[in-house]
Formats: sequence, structure tokens, C-alpha cells
Amino acid sequence: MEIFLNIVSAALIAIFVQNSILERALGVNVLLYASRKRDNMLGFSAAITYTTTISAPLVWLADTFIGDFEYYRVIMPLIYVLIIGIIYILTLILIWRFFPKFFRSLKKYVHLSVFNCSVVGALFLCSQQGNDIFSYLGYGLGTGIGFLFAAYLLYTAAGRLNSPLVPAAFRGYPIMIVYVGILSLALYAFTGYTTSAV
Amino acid sequence: MEKRINLKDGFIKQNMVFMSGLLIAPVIACSTTLVRSMAVCFVFSIVSFATILLCRLIPRTIVYTLRVIIYTATAAVFYIPAVLLAEAIFGEALIASAGVYLPVIITNSLILTKAETRFYHEPFSIMVKDVIVFILGFDAACAFTGIMREYLASGRIGGAEVPLLFEIPAMETTFGGFLFIGINAGLFRALYNYRKNHAAESEEGEESLAEYAEDMGEFLVGKHKAEREKSSKEKIRIYRTAIKKTKNINELLDMEFLSNRDVLEAFEAIIAEGQEMVPDNEEGAGEDVAEETADTSGEPADENSGETAGPEEEKKVAAAVAAGEKTEGENGDIS
Repeated sequence: MEIFLNIVSAALIAIFVQNSILERALGVNVLLYASRKRDNMLGFSAAITYTTTISAPLVWLADTFIGDFEYYRVIMPLIYVLIIGIIYILTLILIWRFFPKFFRSLKKYVHLSVFNCSVVGALFLCSQQGNDIFSYLGYGLGTGIGFLFAAYLLYTAAGRLNSPLVPAAFRGYPIMIVYVGILSLALYAFTGYTTSAV
Repeated sequence: MEKRINLKDGFIKQNMVFMSGLLIAPVIACSTTLVRSMAVCFVFSIVSFATILLCRLIPRTIVYTLRVIIYTATAAVFYIPAVLLAEAIFGEALIASAGVYLPVIITNSLILTKAETRFYHEPFSIMVKDVIVFILGFDAACAFTGIMREYLASGRIGGAEVPLLFEIPAMETTFGGFLFIGINAGLFRALYNYRKNHAAESEEGEESLAEYAEDMGEFLVGKHKAEREKSSKEKIRIYRTAIKKTKNINELLDMEFLSNRDVLEAFEAIIAEGQEMVPDNEEGAGEDVAEETADTSGEPADENSGETAGPEEEKKVAAAVAAGEKTEGENGDIS
């Protein structure tokens, strides 16, 4: 039960308090692409969730066993990329072997959804925030769900954001960034402040 | 291929921060002061430039699904010396405060996407210039963001105090970064669109002027031969000046051009330019005809220009001017 609560609390923190998009701005360019279509949004979110969740325990292993190395902070990206790369290749081989049709539709954007700021950044945040393998796992899972949460909020507003009422120069990328900024402001309250400070 | 590449693209039209949003996480979350921006720019520049150059050697027979891993791993390798250098220059504390935003540079879209869709289709020397322009475009936007956010948040630039009416501390936060980038991206686009439309109007004006010259060429060439003693360049300069004076063809038509010396001279310049631009055959219309004519004939362009006689040839001249002007406009769009 304690393990389960550990995972859930880490996941909730990753979704609401330290959302990789709204709080950390990681993977915003992927978010803008993913939120255009419903299928894209679900596909990207699933790929990110899968990669961060599966990679998190391996990252924990690396952090635990070679984390004391003097220059670990500068070789961390290389190690994390290799971990993601291994998972990416193995997964693609499995999908190609057992679900060839799915593989064909997947390979168009799978590299975009796996090698991006959101995934790499999430693993770094696991390393910073996590204490044990379960919190790593929860944080990895929560990052993916947090991406889906942000992508859904942007997806539902996409129609209005691209309406003719928005000035032409702001339509598309600029207004979406402003909108994400407003959402980020709304979630800012979750990080906690007291009324006396306002 | 070389002519089709606009090396300004990376700086303005496809600016990574304000136009395409290819890499904005470090800018939004990390570029809160000038010094931090400089650290981001430093690491980004080294990692991106070195990775794109080296990864060009990777054979394209390897599928992209695998190449993308090699690109990212190569970037991660270059990240090591880049961040060690950055620590030596900016201090370990500042680099540590950048948190996850320096490592995520290894997955930036310049390396993973732009290299595949643009850089690796270019000749090597052009690619190097193009990559540098893209990197400088990012650096400029990142530095601007850092300066402005530091100033607005604390009334300082690079640590030095600068007078400010009121401070906006929220500029240091992530949502402040989103709002700043979003608003500036809109303004940047508005400015870009304004300049683009303005340039398009000017091109349209020149084209119309050329068409007008086609109609009037026959008359003008016959009337003012004496003015042709002026050098070709001088006449073209006058022609450009006249075009700037008129906003559109209607305004030009409103002028009593026969009594307006500048406009008259401008038309003569068109004729003179046209005579230099007479192509040997119709296929030359899409190229820089003046150069081609001079090259193929082996004679100086000025000598060609002074030998116009009959109205038939004058009509050809005026038509060539129109073709030349149109070509210039088209090239302006793509190169």
C-alpha cells in the first residue's frame, strides 16, 4: 500500500504541481504539434507516458550505481539518451514483429514523441525529485499523464484560438503560447503561496 | 539549389524562438537574466553546430528511425565539453541553476528535424552558413528575452541598474516567460508581415511600371535619345528613385509624366536597361538576362544599348524589360 501511495503521490505531483509543460515548459513544441488532432494528442501522450515510465527504473539504476562518479552530471544526458534509445529500439522491434500494421502508422511520428525535451527533461526531473525506484516510476508515469492533460486543454481551445477574432499575426503559435502561459499561471497556485505574500 | 536558399531565413522568417518555436523551453524557463541567456546560447551554439556538422557524415542508408538516436547521442557527447567550458566561463553555480534546461538542448529540433528537412539537402558550404544563421537567430532571440525579462523583473540589465518605472517580478516565472514569448512572437510576426506586404507592394509597383513602360516605350525612346549618354547605372538609379516616389501605377498615371523630368528619365532608364537585357532567345527570360547577354555576345552591355532603331525593336526592348522585372520579383520571393 505504501508503495502504491508513493507512486500515486509522485504521479500527482508530476501532473499538477510540476507539470512538465505548464510548470516546466518542457516539450512545448511537441505539445503544439500534438494538440492539433485528437489522434496525435493521444498517440504522443501514450508514447511519452510509455517511454518515461519504462525508462524511469533504468534511470534509477544508473543514478544509484554510477551517480557518485565525479563527472556524472555532464554524462547524464548521454546515459539517458542511450537508455531511451534502447527502449525505443526494443519497443519498435516488438511492435514490428507482432503488430506490423500498427508499426506502419506509428513510425511516422514515433521518433518525435520519444526524442524530445519532454521525455529527456522528465528523466532529469525524476533524478532530481525521486528518492526511490517507486517515486521515479510515479514521476515518469505522471509526466506522461501531465502531458496528456496539457495537450487536452490546448486541444479543446485550439478552435477558438485560431478563430478570425484573433489578430492574424497572433493566430497559431503566438496565441497558443499565450494561452499555455495563462494555464501555467492558473497552475502556479498549486506550487503554493500564502495570502499574506500576495 | 544555391539560389533557392535564403540565408536570412534562420534569423527572421524561421526564427527558432519567435517564428517557429522549435526550441523554447530553455528560453521560457531559463532565460530570465542576460548572463543565464548567454550560458544557454553558448551551450546551444556549440552542441548544435558541432552535431549538425558531424552528423552530416552519417550515411543516409541508415533509416531515420535509427539515425535519430545517433544524432541525439552525438549531441549528448558534444554536450560534455560544451557544459564544462560553460562552467569555466560562467561559473558552476550558474550552470547548475539552469537545471534540466541545458541537457534538453541535445534534443532540439534544429538537430533532429531541421537538419533532415533542410540542412542536409544543401551543399556543405551553404549548410555551414545556414546553420550559423539559424543559431545566431536563436541566440539573438534568447539574449533579447534574457535582457528584457531581467530588466522588467528587476530593473537591471546584466546586473547593472537601469531606471524603470515599475517592476514586474512575474517575468522571472515560467508563466511570465510564456506570456513574454507569446506576445513577442505575435509582434515579431506582425512586423515581419508588415515588411513582407510592404515589399510585395513595391514589387507590384515595379511590375506595373514595367508594364506601363512596355506601352510607352515606343514613344519615349524616340523622343529622348540625348539622355541616353548617361551611364546605365545612373539611369537605373533614377528609375529606382522614380519608383519610390510613386506608390502605385495610378499615382504614376496621375503625374503629367511628360513634364516630370524624373519620371521621364526613369522610363528612359527602363528602356536603356531593357536594351541591355534583350535576350538572344526567349529561354533567357527567367535568368539574369543582362549578364547572360553580355557573356554570350562577348560585347559590353553598353554597346548593345545604343543601337536601337525601329519601333519593332523598341517594342521588343520594352517587353524584355517587363520580363526582366517580373523575374526579379519572383526571385525575390524564393531566394
